[in-house]
Amino acid sequence: MDAGVIDIGYLELFGAAAFMLVAAVVAWSLRLRQTKAIVVATARCFLQLLAMGLLLVYLFKYQSWWLVCLVLVGMALAATQIAMGRVKGKALRIWPEVFGSIFLSSMIVAFTVVEAIVHASPWYDARVLVPISGMVLGNTLSATAVAIDRLFSDMDARSDEIMAYLALGSTPREAAFPSIRSAIGSGLTPALATMSAAGIVQIPGMMSGQVLAGADPMIAAKYQIVVLLMISAATTLAIVAICFTTYRKRFTPDGCFLSPALRDEQ
Amino acid sequence: MAFFEVRGLTVSYRRNGIPFEPFNGISFELSEGQVADLVGPSGSGKSSLLCACARLLPRASGALSLKGVDAGSLSPEEWRRRVCYVPQKPTVIPGTVRDNLLLPWSLRVRRSDDPPSDEALRSLMGEASLGDVGLDRDAAQLSGGELARVALLRAFATKPDVLLLDEVDAALDDGTARSVSRLTRRLVRDSTTCLRIRHRPPDGAADRTLKLERGKITQLDHVEEGA
Repeated sequence: MDAGVIDIGYLELFGAAAFMLVAAVVAWSLRLRQTKAIVVATARCFLQLLAMGLLLVYLFKYQSWWLVCLVLVGMALAATQIAMGRVKGKALRIWPEVFGSIFLSSMIVAFTVVEAIVHASPWYDARVLVPISGMVLGNTLSATAVAIDRLFSDMDARSDEIMAYLALGSTPREAAFPSIRSAIGSGLTPALATMSAAGIVQIPGMMSGQVLAGADPMIAAKYQIVVLLMISAATTLAIVAICFTTYRKRFTPDGCFLSPALRDEQ
Repeated sequence: MAFFEVRGLTVSYRRNGIPFEPFNGISFELSEGQVADLVGPSGSGKSSLLCACARLLPRASGALSLKGVDAGSLSPEEWRRRVCYVPQKPTVIPGTVRDNLLLPWSLRVRRSDDPPSDEALRSLMGEASLGDVGLDRDAAQLSGGELARVALLRAFATKPDVLLLDEVDAALDDGTARSVSRLTRRLVRDSTTCLRIRHRPPDGAADRTLKLERGKITQLDHVEEGA
């Protein structure tokens, strides 16, 4: 299969950074003050992906179950950090819940795929487990960030309604439930939209990668279907877990609702 | 033994990031079937007091008891089932008027109770001058005054032991406010005690008037006009 791979030279690779000039010119002409962010994002993209490539070369060569698991935990920690960065305006102390939701949902689905569908041997085969986990983690982090943002924004917007529910004797969970439902719905939307557009509007990343690497397009399509289905399952698990484990942060232990005015976050 | 008792209640929280203590160590009692008005200048903590009585605001210290039962021995949900707070701003859920009136019976705390019949709901609505509003009417189509009364009737229908009304007649015209006063009085005769914040002139429904000012609560001998 490697015979079909067309390598990219380092000169061409670094030359491709010129594509970022498009964003830089737009940022400069519209005075977006994002020049630094564009440079940092480009540098991070190069460094992180090349580092991951080197890490995978090492992993494939000397793979052991604990080393692979260590890499997966490291990826989940990074995913949590990025997800928390996207909701930092919410002043939430939910790091453990976010990590637990992203890590457990991703690993449950990734290991199920590796064991039950791909039949990898050994079970910790880094060549299969790491890329699959990476795809799942990347999507669950985005969905989790969207769901957290929606959950807490919606609860703030529904402050009066939540107070009315509580005043009638509802539990915090009953009062928060419409917001939980809304957050789960909005967290699921991107994954479902991607599934609907796959094969018509776009050739998703994994399939494109496999085809470029010389794989049979039908095999690539089958892998991609599995990937999309597992992403849907993992994101659903992650956003359900994050919503039900964090909504309580807006209530005191005695079930009082902490409306925006009552929170110590100014 | 007092029907509803508040002892040494202090509420302290941060409001918009600034420490705020609307009152400190206040005490009062309400008898069974009594209607009491709570008056005081804006910002004196009247709404906070009602919320704290319903355990909707965290207490810094103090004790609440109902019929001799300490609040701490009941779950917050069970307490609020008996001590019901009605906020000034009426809140309705998407659905019909019936859906809104029966909302309390969809909650876990009342799931084993029988909800009132349509006939009972219509009778209640009639007493609040809502006889023309059908139970199947979309709640989103109600006027502000109708919404206020539906939110109020929803609490009345649950027949709580103590009803805490936070200026619920603020959005009503004089005639409707009077009918709500009569309804309150009638419900209280059915063994509910009521503490209500009002800014309207006295309507004759209150048995006593409490004044909250500068963190202290006092009983007024004579109700001050427009207090």
